[in-house]
Amino acid sequence: MKTITPDRLDQFFSSLEPVWELRLPILLPDGTRVIGSLNDGPLALHGGAVSGKPTAAFFPQQSTLFTVTDGAMQEPPPADRPLFIVGFPPRDLACLRFIDRFFADGWRDDLYFRLRQRATVAGLSGYCGPGGSLISPAGGDCDLEFFWDRSNWLVTAYSETGRKIIAGLPETATPEAAELFLQVPAEFPDKNETLIRHASELLRTNRVPESFWAEIGDRCIACTGCNLACPTCTCFGVQDWRSAKKTERSRMWDSCQLDGFMREAGGHNPLGSEAERTRRRIHHKLAADPQKWGEISCFLCGRCDAVCPTGIGIIAVARELVARFR
Amino acid sequence: MTRTLTVCPYCGVGCTFYLVSDKGRLVGVEPSTTHPVSRGGLCVKGWNAYAFVHHPDRLTTPLIRRDGQLRPASWDEALNLVVERLQAVQAKHGKDAVMFASSAKATNEENYLLMKLARAVFGTNNIDHCARLCHSSTVTGLAETFGSGAMTNSISCFDQTDVILVIGSNTTEQHPLIGSRILNAVRGGTRLIVADNRRIRLARHAELHLRHKNGSDVALLNGIMHVIIAEGLADREFIAGRTENYDALAESVADWTPERTAAATGLTADEIVAAARLYAGAERAMVVFSMGITQHSHGVDNVRCIAALAMLTGNVGRPGTGVNPLRGQNNVQGGCDMGALPDLYSGYQKVADPRLRDKFAHAWGVSSLPAEPGLPLTRAMDAASEGRLHGMFIMGENPMLSDPDQGHARKVLENLELLIVQDIFLTETAAVADIVLPAACFAEKEGTFTNTERRIQRLYKAVEPPGKARADWEIICDIAERAGYNGMRYTSPAEIMAEAASLTPIYGGIAYQRLAAHGLQWPCPDKEHPGTPIMHLDRFTRGLGHFSPVVHRLPAELPDAEFPFVLTTGRTYFHWHTGSMTRRTHLLAREEPHSFIELHPDDAARLGIRHRDMVLVSSRRGEVRTEARVTDMVIAGVLFMPFHFVEGAANALTNNVLDPESSIPEFKVCAVRVEKMP
Amino acid sequence: MTGAPLRDSLYLPSECEIITVTDLTPGEKLFRIRRADGLPLGHLPGQFVQVSLLGWGEAPISVASSPTRDGFFELGVRRAGTFTSAMHTLKAGDTLGIRGPFGRAFDLPRLRGQNLILISGGCGLAPMRSLIQYCEDRPSEFGSISILYGAKSPVDRLFKEELAAWDASARFACSMTVDNISGRDCFSGSVGLITALIPPLTFSPDTTIAAIVGPPAMYRAVIAELHKKGLPSDRIAVSLERQMRCGVGKCGHCSIEHLYCCQDGPVFWLNEIELLRGAL
Repeated sequence: MKTITPDRLDQFFSSLEPVWELRLPILLPDGTRVIGSLNDGPLALHGGAVSGKPTAAFFPQQSTLFTVTDGAMQEPPPADRPLFIVGFPPRDLACLRFIDRFFADGWRDDLYFRLRQRATVAGLSGYCGPGGSLISPAGGDCDLEFFWDRSNWLVTAYSETGRKIIAGLPETATPEAAELFLQVPAEFPDKNETLIRHASELLRTNRVPESFWAEIGDRCIACTGCNLACPTCTCFGVQDWRSAKKTERSRMWDSCQLDGFMREAGGHNPLGSEAERTRRRIHHKLAADPQKWGEISCFLCGRCDAVCPTGIGIIAVARELVARFR
Repeated sequence: MTRTLTVCPYCGVGCTFYLVSDKGRLVGVEPSTTHPVSRGGLCVKGWNAYAFVHHPDRLTTPLIRRDGQLRPASWDEALNLVVERLQAVQAKHGKDAVMFASSAKATNEENYLLMKLARAVFGTNNIDHCARLCHSSTVTGLAETFGSGAMTNSISCFDQTDVILVIGSNTTEQHPLIGSRILNAVRGGTRLIVADNRRIRLARHAELHLRHKNGSDVALLNGIMHVIIAEGLADREFIAGRTENYDALAESVADWTPERTAAATGLTADEIVAAARLYAGAERAMVVFSMGITQHSHGVDNVRCIAALAMLTGNVGRPGTGVNPLRGQNNVQGGCDMGALPDLYSGYQKVADPRLRDKFAHAWGVSSLPAEPGLPLTRAMDAASEGRLHGMFIMGENPMLSDPDQGHARKVLENLELLIVQDIFLTETAAVADIVLPAACFAEKEGTFTNTERRIQRLYKAVEPPGKARADWEIICDIAERAGYNGMRYTSPAEIMAEAASLTPIYGGIAYQRLAAHGLQWPCPDKEHPGTPIMHLDRFTRGLGHFSPVVHRLPAELPDAEFPFVLTTGRTYFHWHTGSMTRRTHLLAREEPHSFIELHPDDAARLGIRHRDMVLVSSRRGEVRTEARVTDMVIAGVLFMPFHFVEGAANALTNNVLDPESSIPEFKVCAVRVEKMP
Repeated sequence: MTGAPLRDSLYLPSECEIITVTDLTPGEKLFRIRRADGLPLGHLPGQFVQVSLLGWGEAPISVASSPTRDGFFELGVRRAGTFTSAMHTLKAGDTLGIRGPFGRAFDLPRLRGQNLILISGGCGLAPMRSLIQYCEDRPSEFGSISILYGAKSPVDRLFKEELAAWDASARFACSMTVDNISGRDCFSGSVGLITALIPPLTFSPDTTIAAIVGPPAMYRAVIAELHKKGLPSDRIAVSLERQMRCGVGKCGHCSIEHLYCCQDGPVFWLNEIELLRGAL
């Protein structure tokens, strides 16, 4: 296990810049914390999960599928440098693992893997959660992990690339620090964990009446923020832009909370009511995905709850659901 | 990957977000988590606000009409021609033969400059903007009663109120992040009254949903005030200490018994009494209103009644109270503040006042400024058809689709001697122009927008404009220079704001370095002033609040045997006005791909019209084909149609009858017929 | 019969050429298409392709011809929205893009040796035609074959000549119905709903398989009739239509609970989906 002192961080990251395109947790001018470039704001490793869909690094809100200029079809050029991304706490890493599997399954989504495959992902854990709270280490699911022990960052590599990147760092000075990393329980208990499992159980056993979805749907203003902020939401729409010489086809994040999401040209719509759409949003994560992938696809990152203007993110809905139908 | 903080270009709520760009191209949007208004959220339009910016339809070069066709031209050619032809029209027909239409989509700095261009360079007060079509009734009505036409309170007040009366505002669709606050407030125990005959989302959460007849707002509000006075619920202390002319009001509502009100509104007497008791019984009550109140031939009267209702119950000048007009456009408040109005300079300073004319003339370095108020935008079409107006310079507006009585507007615009349009897309209006100037959009320039709660916020440049397009402020300065005026040399929008602030007392303390991430709320008279979240705290801007009694008048055109339905127009959640941006945004266009009309199931059954049938809708002005949406959103006898769509344009039907005081058109009521297409 | 994969990248369409365009009805056209590289499409009956028109986007369209017919494939397209309207302006010699074939086909191994009831309504006959042609070309592989087809009116029937030929063929037992008929129409079938064609059939549920392709409203009623005849759900194949955007299980637009219509379907055994919300 390696170590790095806070004052050496900037130097460490800038030493990577010739090889990697760096994306790090930064603080934007109004106090919003995101994964971004150091040009946009100072490094901000503390504070837990950043806002914004962290998986956007590999699946951006809008990306070009191809362009056709004067009859010649072209895919977007590959990036000059692979990505080095820091800022995934364990829950976000779980989300990444989930969508890695999703995009690889069956037909492999080469557009996603073009960015993902060459990327190095660093986890974040330790006493760097909101207000200095403890985030238990992921212990995997990433190339390397930074663990804040309240005075230094302990760095562990899980992959060959990770090991190469930290090869130049000094070994941990104090064995006590390494001990601390190992002692933190792998599964940090979270009351939301129990809650979401309970809600999932209620859904899978059909114990939630239709009227519940209509009621929640009544409070939805169809902003689509829940889907757009969710690290495991992967739905997209496709558009063509045509000018005299060039056509560009691109894909953009889509939302199952929109009436047009499944509406067919003839008007038939399997998700044709607010209640249906609201149910789908929750049911997909808590019942459909468990059936297909063997796990709930909400990893409790809290982003949809933070972004929802009317307080009906998945944790809030699960709470209501469990309170009423347990 | 770069992030640039900016202000949403759609509604007046003023949410901020970051534009995400990669190698000079926008690839997405991320909300600001700290913003006091949006608090980390956005609506669907905000989440998609990046998506039209690089659309291939963007204007990239100036265009000049030659041999009937718009053809590319250089900036030199185009701007010299702009000046030459504007001057020629003025030489031939007089200074007031040209009109400048500013834009509630443009920045404060650009609105300030266009009004300066009109007044100082071209010597006319013919400057106006689309506030004329949305809240001119509010500005007039509240200026008379309170002394200031803006929202009295702040958006944060929605979290601190006991009762909210929403009248003529579909808040969750048109001001979604305020609508959301209302929904949250209701869950927290705030009681909600919705007065609107459409079954809007808020109505599902309301304790009282008053589905009163279109255009019967004065009757309803007078009736409510009658009950409040009759039942002794009025705030005697507030009336005595803060207001004047109460007796005249009391007398004017004395006849409006619940029974008479019920007959005039189509409600029951019980509903009126319940609404009065609920609103007046609250410790803190707010009124929220929008186009449903203002867009009537008696729009100013509607606003007077709302002001009176609030004063009658002492609901002004405290947190969680107030009269809260929700401004439509992102910068319609700023457009008004900056004096893009025919009778007012920036900060609502009257052009009729010789001392103010002198002040501006001196500051602008001109010998004199025109004294007569200019033409309101809505009177421009008539002025042109009567031979009083021959040239128009339109910046960022699309009257071909947004003005009432489209047939008339089209004829006038096509027959103008000179039409210049400055815009980001070739809109329906730009398509008939003589000269088209390509402008930068919100993401491609700096400036400030003022939101509905008077919050002045900065936008920052995220990407370069396409092709040769330039920021509106740069184009305006260039025109001034070519017209021989040397008083418009600025290196940045910050300098323009510094000048505007020096001439505008309510913006006196505004400077870019003070705006930071969350801006300042005017009135902000000096550099130390922290801004004003709540107005009229101890005294009204005009001193005492004035009760203005109002006589109920019916809408100008009512249904009859030939045109048996009331048509009311508005917008949908997914589109913005004439759709030049939202119809080019994939997800938004997919949600509402085409024109439609809402029709009550009983009416539909009677006329043999089924959901999704094509129907023909006609009025005395025109007819359109559109798709029927059979829904109980509307009451029987009333049809609703959005005005976004050029194919099936609602404004081909609407009635260009104006409120005599504010010149706002009666978009909310006209008489139509609907029939199934053969 | 197997074609080479069309492209390395998932979202790049491959160029194809239109050989002929035929009017099927006033609102439907049949496009005969070949790959620019001359290879077969490599599809099985029941699969679909994503048709790409530059500037208009993509739409999923079922293949209407059988892989047993070499050198081309055919797509039947109803004009319904902007994309299909644009497609209707194409002529022979024009090119378009194709991705696919995608999705799960009719389960030919299970169909072999069985008696088949092939039920389609409206433009559902297009995908069904792929299977019918397959049966026509491999007559020895299947037992008795009944073709049931319903359309709005005689003029709305697709593939009128082939319908007549199948009707005349000893290999198929055909019954047709239309919802409405007018005096001018020359039509020998019955008038009424397609559900009325099922009760007269006699078949043994143990050796019979039914396949259904049609408009959303048709499925429940037809299935109810088949159940009445004792045919169990695991002997009923349905092909579902959804608004697939990608065709490869990523975009999410065609999901039915935990299934993706474009990958787990579009052909399903009824027992796999009958309890899933929104499937039928």
